[in-house]
Amino acid sequence: MAKLCSEAVCMQASALSVRRGTKLLLKEISAAIPAGKVTLILGHNGAGKTLLMQTLHGLVTPTSGQVMGPDIAVQKMVFQTPVMLRCTASKHFDFLCPDASQEEKLSWFKRASLVGRMQVPARSMSGGEQQKLAIIGALASQPDVLFLDEPAANLDFEATAFVEEMIRWSAKNGTTIVMVSHNRAQAERLADHILFMDKGRLMEQTSAKQFFCAPSSDAGKTYLNFA
Amino acid sequence: MDFFTPLILAVQMLIGFDADLYEIIGLSLQVSLVAVGAALVLGLPFGALLASFQFIGRGPLIVITNTLLGLPPVVVGLLVYLLISRAGPLGFLDLLYSPAAMMMAQFILVLPLSIALSRQVFEGLHQDYNLLFKSLNLSWTTRVTTLLVDGRAALVTIALVCFGRAISEVGAVILVGGNIKHVTRVMTSAIALETARGELAFALALGLVLLFIALVVNIISQQIRQYFTPEDRYG
Repeated sequence: MAKLCSEAVCMQASALSVRRGTKLLLKEISAAIPAGKVTLILGHNGAGKTLLMQTLHGLVTPTSGQVMGPDIAVQKMVFQTPVMLRCTASKHFDFLCPDASQEEKLSWFKRASLVGRMQVPARSMSGGEQQKLAIIGALASQPDVLFLDEPAANLDFEATAFVEEMIRWSAKNGTTIVMVSHNRAQAERLADHILFMDKGRLMEQTSAKQFFCAPSSDAGKTYLNFA
Repeated sequence: MDFFTPLILAVQMLIGFDADLYEIIGLSLQVSLVAVGAALVLGLPFGALLASFQFIGRGPLIVITNTLLGLPPVVVGLLVYLLISRAGPLGFLDLLYSPAAMMMAQFILVLPLSIALSRQVFEGLHQDYNLLFKSLNLSWTTRVTTLLVDGRAALVTIALVCFGRAISEVGAVILVGGNIKHVTRVMTSAIALETARGELAFALALGLVLLFIALVVNIISQQIRQYFTPEDRYG
């Protein structure tokens, strides 16, 4: 991934396309991710939101085009369904963030109200607890960019509130957040910047305020009517 | 001679700690444990590598290891014999008719088994963890280590399967070990010999020990799987 020499923009995708067999899943996407802001990727199911995020993160190699941004070592990703190792929550945290000290680890577990669950097998934790663990594991390493793939899907109010609090806190501390969400209310609460996708194309990239008040594309208007 | 007379004799030999019998049992365990240990040390990481990395020659390597699963033990014995006989390329090591030769034969027999079985286990794990590993930008050594630790319950079963194959093997160890008393006589080769000589009690005693070892191996396997909580367990 090439470096980007701009303070306002953290990542830049240029004419990004991803092809699988004969299907073009991402079509010539050029987008800028503002630094230290919360960017939400919105769109219907199958629009290519997760694929775009994975390509930006470097998990998927684009067929053409390129992504410029910080090294993958200073990026973290939290998946929609957190992947848990067969070990305790405490050891899983160590795996996600090997550099954290015991004190730091304890403070992150306290913050997520998971102190009592540290020695529990990570796989036996509830979905909400696993998501919290994945998020604190990602944030503890203080990444420059944090990718979140529908982090609050299927979570209860308490867990959702924690996830949103963490997103606000990390953005405030300078972390660039790139997130996929289907929840319009959540998007309006959190987003500074919107990338709106439809059928593998980037239809709009604008401020959240602009998008939710007056989307410029017909696809965006239709989406907001349904959302 | 009826069935029960040798059975009673066998039990008497076992309870009476017959020196010859226990020497054979000890050597059998020693040979098989060393062979299986070496095969696992090499085979498990190799299985993890095959499962988690794409590289040139990976496909043919998988086909070769799978093919070697069906390798007849006597053929392995013959190959090792040719290798270590005086005229062979490793003849200078003077290994023929020694426990080391039997270890070598058993190692070659169980190595493909440990690679093929562990690859299958790790392929499943790798599907689950691939994106996380990529996202965390892990080195190949960390990936392999993580897969080995995470798949530990399944790996114990693989180890026990390998041990079962090694200790029950007879063709290769007779060829390269020669079944020499007090030197290379192991349980399977001794059973074959004693049965041919009509010493059924001794043969049966060894057979009972083999059965007992199979039972112990099963109990250990069960205990280990129970030790890992369901959340820890593979699958």
